Amino acid sequence: MRILVILRRVLDPAGLVAHARLRRLFINREEYLIEPGDHAALEAALRIKDGGGAEVVVVSGQPEPDDDTLRRGLAMGADRAIYLSGAGFADADDGVAAEVLKATVERLGGADLVLVGMTRLDTGQAQLGPRLAGALGWPQIVGAWSVEIADGRIRAVRRDGDDYVIVETDLPAVVTVPAKALEPRYPDGARLINVYRGEGGMAEAVLQWDVADLMDPEGLVPLLEGRGRDFPPERERGVRVEGSIEEAAQAVAEALRGRRPG
Amino acid sequence: MDFALSEEQKMFRAMFEDFSKKEIAPVAEALDHEETLPLTILEKAGRQGFLGATLPEEHLGADLDFVSYALLMEALGRDCMSVAVSLGTHVSLVAMSILRHGSEAQKEAYLGILAAGGDGGRDVRLGAFALTEPDAGSDTSRLQTRAGMDGEEYVIDGVKTWVANGEMTGLFLVFAEAPGGMTAFLIPADTDGVTVGYREPTLGLRNVPFNTVYLEGCCVPAANRLGEEGDGREIAEAAGERMAVTLGAAALGVVEDSLEVAAQFATERVQFGVPIAEKQAIQNLMAESTVDAEALRHLVYHGAWQVDRGGGLGSVGSVVKVFAARVAQQVTNRMVQVMGGYGYMEDYPLARKYRDARALGLIGGPTELHYVRIAERVFAGRDVAITP
Amino acid sequence: MDFTFSREAKALRRMVRAFVEKEVAPIAAEIDREHRVPLGVMRKLGKTGLLGVCFPQEYGGMGAGEVGYCILMEELGRVCTSTATNVGAHIGIGAMAIHVDGTEEQKLRYLAPLARGEQFAAFGLTESNAGSDAANISTRAVRDGDEWVVNGGKVYITNGGYADVVTLIAVTDPALGARGGVTAFIVESDWPGFEVAREEDKMGIRGTSTAELVFDDLRVPHENVLGKVGEGFVTFMKALDMGRLTLGAACLGGAQAALDWSVAWARTREQFGTQLAQKQSIQWMIADLATEVEALRSLVYRVAWMVDTGQPFTELAAMCKLYGSEVASRAVDMAVQIHGGLGYSRDYPIERAFRDARIAEIFEGTNEIQRIVIASRIFREHGVRISP
Ligand SMILES: Cc1cc2nc3c(=O)[nH]c(=O)nc-3n(C[C@H](O)[C@H](O)[C@H](O)COP(=O)(O)OP(=O)(O)OC[C@H]3O[C@@H](n4cnc5c(N)ncnc54)[C@H](O)[C@@H]3O)c2cc1C
Ligand SMILES: Cc1cc2nc3c(=O)[nH]c(=O)nc-3n(C[C@H](O)[C@H](O)[C@H](O)COP(=O)(O)OP(=O)(O)OC[C@H]3O[C@@H](n4cnc5c(N)ncnc54)[C@H](O)[C@@H]3O)c2cc1C
Repeated sequence: MRILVILRRVLDPAGLVAHARLRRLFINREEYLIEPGDHAALEAALRIKDGGGAEVVVVSGQPEPDDDTLRRGLAMGADRAIYLSGAGFADADDGVAAEVLKATVERLGGADLVLVGMTRLDTGQAQLGPRLAGALGWPQIVGAWSVEIADGRIRAVRRDGDDYVIVETDLPAVVTVPAKALEPRYPDGARLINVYRGEGGMAEAVLQWDVADLMDPEGLVPLLEGRGRDFPPERERGVRVEGSIEEAAQAVAEALRGRRPG
Repeated sequence: MDFALSEEQKMFRAMFEDFSKKEIAPVAEALDHEETLPLTILEKAGRQGFLGATLPEEHLGADLDFVSYALLMEALGRDCMSVAVSLGTHVSLVAMSILRHGSEAQKEAYLGILAAGGDGGRDVRLGAFALTEPDAGSDTSRLQTRAGMDGEEYVIDGVKTWVANGEMTGLFLVFAEAPGGMTAFLIPADTDGVTVGYREPTLGLRNVPFNTVYLEGCCVPAANRLGEEGDGREIAEAAGERMAVTLGAAALGVVEDSLEVAAQFATERVQFGVPIAEKQAIQNLMAESTVDAEALRHLVYHGAWQVDRGGGLGSVGSVVKVFAARVAQQVTNRMVQVMGGYGYMEDYPLARKYRDARALGLIGGPTELHYVRIAERVFAGRDVAITP
Repeated sequence: MDFTFSREAKALRRMVRAFVEKEVAPIAAEIDREHRVPLGVMRKLGKTGLLGVCFPQEYGGMGAGEVGYCILMEELGRVCTSTATNVGAHIGIGAMAIHVDGTEEQKLRYLAPLARGEQFAAFGLTESNAGSDAANISTRAVRDGDEWVVNGGKVYITNGGYADVVTLIAVTDPALGARGGVTAFIVESDWPGFEVAREEDKMGIRGTSTAELVFDDLRVPHENVLGKVGEGFVTFMKALDMGRLTLGAACLGGAQAALDWSVAWARTREQFGTQLAQKQSIQWMIADLATEVEALRSLVYRVAWMVDTGQPFTELAAMCKLYGSEVASRAVDMAVQIHGGLGYSRDYPIERAFRDARIAEIFEGTNEIQRIVIASRIFREHGVRISP
C-alpha cells in the first residue's frame, strides 16, 4: 500500500499585515504553515499506516526559506519525501500541477491512494484533487472527514448538507480532506532532529526530482494568466459615537436608517 | 523646627499598635486567604473611634490630627495593608471630603454615620470613592459618567471601576460630568439605580472589595452635590493629596514590619555556620532598606504635618506617593529575598506584603502621572507647557 | 562568528511553539487558580519526545542539545512558568543528575522512561538546615550489605508530590562531609520508607508541587548509587549548572512575554487622547526592557552553545540565572505598571506572571549564591580563594 500525500505550504497569516490605504500586503514575519487541509490529509495517511501499514510518501514543489514543509511531514511519520524542482511548477496553477503529479505517480511506480487538502487556505481554490483524479482517471472522494481501508476498498465519511454519509470506492483513488477533519499529530522530536541532521536513516529521505525529467515542460501551459495585483476597495472608516447611552443609540439608529436604501 | 512626636501622639501610637497587634495581626493571613474584611474587625475599629479618626467630636469623630492619623495608618499597615487601604479610603477620601467641602447639612447628615460606621448595630459601612472609569484611569479629565439636571434632581448615569469598599459601602462619593463641569455627588448605596457589580480578583489587598459600580438613571437631589458644579476636580485633587499621605503611612508600616520580620529571620537562620545576618549581602539589603524607610518616615510625617497646617500639599503629595510606592515595593522585594524560599511561601507574611505593596504604584494614580505633576511644579513659572 | 539558529533549532522552536500555544496556554491560568500540576500536558510533552530534548537518542531522548533545551524552556516560560518549572525540575535537574553521572544500566532503566514522560523525576537537595548551604545536609545513608538505608528528609522539592523517581544526596561519611562523604542515589517513590509529608502553599508557580519528603529506613539497592560513593555533591553541582542555564532560558521567555504584552497594550490603550505608546515614560520602559531582553537572549544561547561544544561554563550558567531572573522580574513589574489596574487583576496573565517570576531569584541557588559562584571563579583566577 503506497499513499502519496501532497503537502503545499502557505504563508502563516499571523505574520501578514494588509495595508488598505497603500494597497499593499506586508509580510511581517515570513513563516509558512503546511496547508491545513494537506496537514489533515497527512494525518489521515498516517492513521492508515498506523492501522495496517503503508508507505507514506509526501510530495511538494514550493521553495521556502528553510525548506521544511517536507521535513515536517517526515518528522510526523512519512517515510519518503519528494521535492519537485524546476521550471514553472512552484507557481503552477492546479491544472498544470495535476499533470506534474500524475507524472510523479507514474515515476514512483504507481500509488494506491493520493490524499490532498480539499480547499486552499490562501486562495480558496479546491481544484487540485478533482483535476488530479481526472488526469489519472481514478475515482475521487471530495471532502472526506475520515478515511479507512476495508477489504481493498477505500471507505470515507463525507458531509452532505447537515448529514454525514459513508461512501466507498475502489483503489486507486484520490481523496480530498477538509482542514478541520483530523487533528494532525505533533512531529516526533527525535525524528525531527534526525531529519534535519540527516541522521538515523533520514539522510536519503528527501529526494529531489526535476520536473523536466518527469515530463516535457512544453506541455505545461497554465490555463490562466496572471496580470498583476489588486486590492479590495477600501471600506469606509467607522465613526465613534459620543454621548450618553440614549444619545449614542439614537445616533446609531439614525446612521443605520440613513444607510438603508429607500 | 521640631521633629519629635508630642506625648499625646506617642500615646496614640502605642494604642494603635496595640490594637493592630491584638485584633488584626493574628487574623491577617487567614483573611487574605479568604479575601474578606469581617465586620467584627471594623466594629472594633469603630469602637476605638478609628472610623471617624480625623473628624471633629461634634460629628462623633476622634478628632485626631493628621500626624496621629498617619500613625494609625502606619500601625495598621504593619499588620495588614488591606485594612489600612479600606479605612484610608473611608476616612481620607470620603469623610474628609465631606468635612472640607460639605455644607453644614451634609456634614450633619453623613459624618456622624460615617464615624459610627452606620446607623448603629452591626451595620458597619465604609465610604467609597468612585472616580475611575474604564476609559478614565490616569486621565480623569473626560469622564463618561454624566449628571444631568431634571428639575430639583440630578440624574446620574455611568460606570465606575475599581471602587474600593464598593460592596461594603453605605455611601459613594461619585464624580460625574455635570453641565458646569466635573462635579462630586454623595450617593447613598441604597439609591435606586445603583448596582454594585463585579469584584476584581486582585494580586494583593485581597481583603478589600474593589467593585465595578453601575449608575443607571440614578436620581439624587441637588442637596447631595458636594460643593458647586465644577468643583469636582478640586475635591478629587485634595482627596488625592490626603490619600497620598495616607497610603504613604500605610507603606511605611509595611516597610517597617517587613524589615523587622526579615531581621528576625536573618538572626535565627544559620547557613554556612553563621546567622545569615553576618553576611554583608544580607546586611546591605537591610541597610539600603533602612535608609529608604527612614527617608520615607520623614517624608510621610512631614506630609501629614502639612495637611494639618491646611492648604494644599502641591507636589509634595505626589512626592510622598511616588517615593512610598517605590520604597514599599523595593523593600518588600528585598525582604522576600532575605528570607530565601520562606519568603515565597504564603504561610510566611512576606509574600502577602510583597503582593500588597505592588498596588501602591497604581492606586491613587500611577507613578508616571505623579511624575507629570511633580514636573509641573519644577517648571512652574518657566515658559514651558507640561501636559500629561 | 555566526549567531543564527540552525534549521533544526528553528524547526524545533516551531514545533514547541505550536505545542505550547495549543496545549499549555489554555490551561495556564486554570492550573494556577486550582493549584494543580498539569500532568496531562507533561505526559503529552513526553509523547512528542520533548522531555528528552537534551538527552541522547539511545536513552529515549531527542539529542537536540542544550540549545534545543533552552528553546523548549524559553517557549514554555513565555506562556506558563509553572509548566516550565515542572519540566525544569524533571529533566533540567532531576533526570539531569542521571544523565551527567549515571551508569549505562541506570540510564536505560531510569533516564529513558523519564525522557519519554512515562515517569517523572525530582531533585532532592535542599533540607531545612541546608538551603544555600547545601553541603550542610544531614540526611544519612548507611551501608547494609547490598543496600543503603536512608533516613532524613528534604524540603521544597519541586515535583516531590508526584515524582516516580527522585535523585537525592545523603551523607555517607560524616567525617568527610561534602568533600567525599556525600553520595547521590536514585530512589523510587513507591519504595517503603518514602513519604510525602506536606505540600507548600506558594505565592506563585502554583501549578507546581513543592513538597517535603521524609525518608524512614528507606532501603536503596547499591546499584542505585549515582556516580561514585562519596562524590554525590559533585554530581549534584554539575546537574545544577545545567539547570541554572535553562532557568535563565525560561526567564527569557517570561521577560519576552511581558514585553510583548506591554507593547500590545501600549498600542491599544488611550489616555489623554493618545496611545500610551506616544508617551516617553512608556517608551523608555519598553526600550530599556527590550535592551535587557536582547542581552539576556545573547547570553543564554551563547552559554548553551558553549555547553554543546564542550566548553567550561559554570560561572556563565550562574550569570544566566542571576541576570535572567532579574530581567524577568523587572519585565513583569513593568508590565503591571503599563497595564495599570488591569495588571493588578487576576483576570489577566500579568498578575500571575508577577507572582511567578519572583521565584527565579530564589530557587536553584539564590541570586546571592550565584554572585558567590561568579565572584569565586573570578577571584580564583587571581589567586584568591573566597568562602561563601
Ligand atoms: C488596587 C487598586 C485600587 C483602586 N481603588 C480605586 C478607588 O477606590 N477609586 C477609584 O476611583 N479608583 C481606584 N483605582 C483606580 C486607579 O486610580 C487607577 O487604576 C489608576 O489611576 C490608573 O488607571 P488605569 O488603571 O486606567 O491605567 P492607565 O491610565 O491606563 O495607565 C496605564 C499606564 O500608562 C501610564 N500613563 C497613562 N497616561 C500617561 C501619560 N500621560 N504619560 C505617561 N504615562 C502615562 C500610567 O502611568 C500607567 O503606567 C484603584 C486601582 C487599583 C489597582
Ligand atoms: C518553590 C521552590 C521550589 C524549590 N525546588 C527545589 C527542588 O526541586 N530541589 C531542591 O533541592 N531544592 C528546591 N528548592 C530549594 C531552594 O533551592 C532553596 O530555597 C534555596 O536554595 C534557598 O535556600 P533557603 O530557602 O534555605 O534560604 P537560605 O539559604 O536560608 O537563604 C536565606 C537568605 O540568605 C542568603 N544567604 C545565604 N547564605 C549566604 C551567604 N553565604 N552569603 C550571602 N547571602 C547568603 C540567601 O541568598 C537568602 O537571601 C525550592 C525552593 C522553592 C521556594
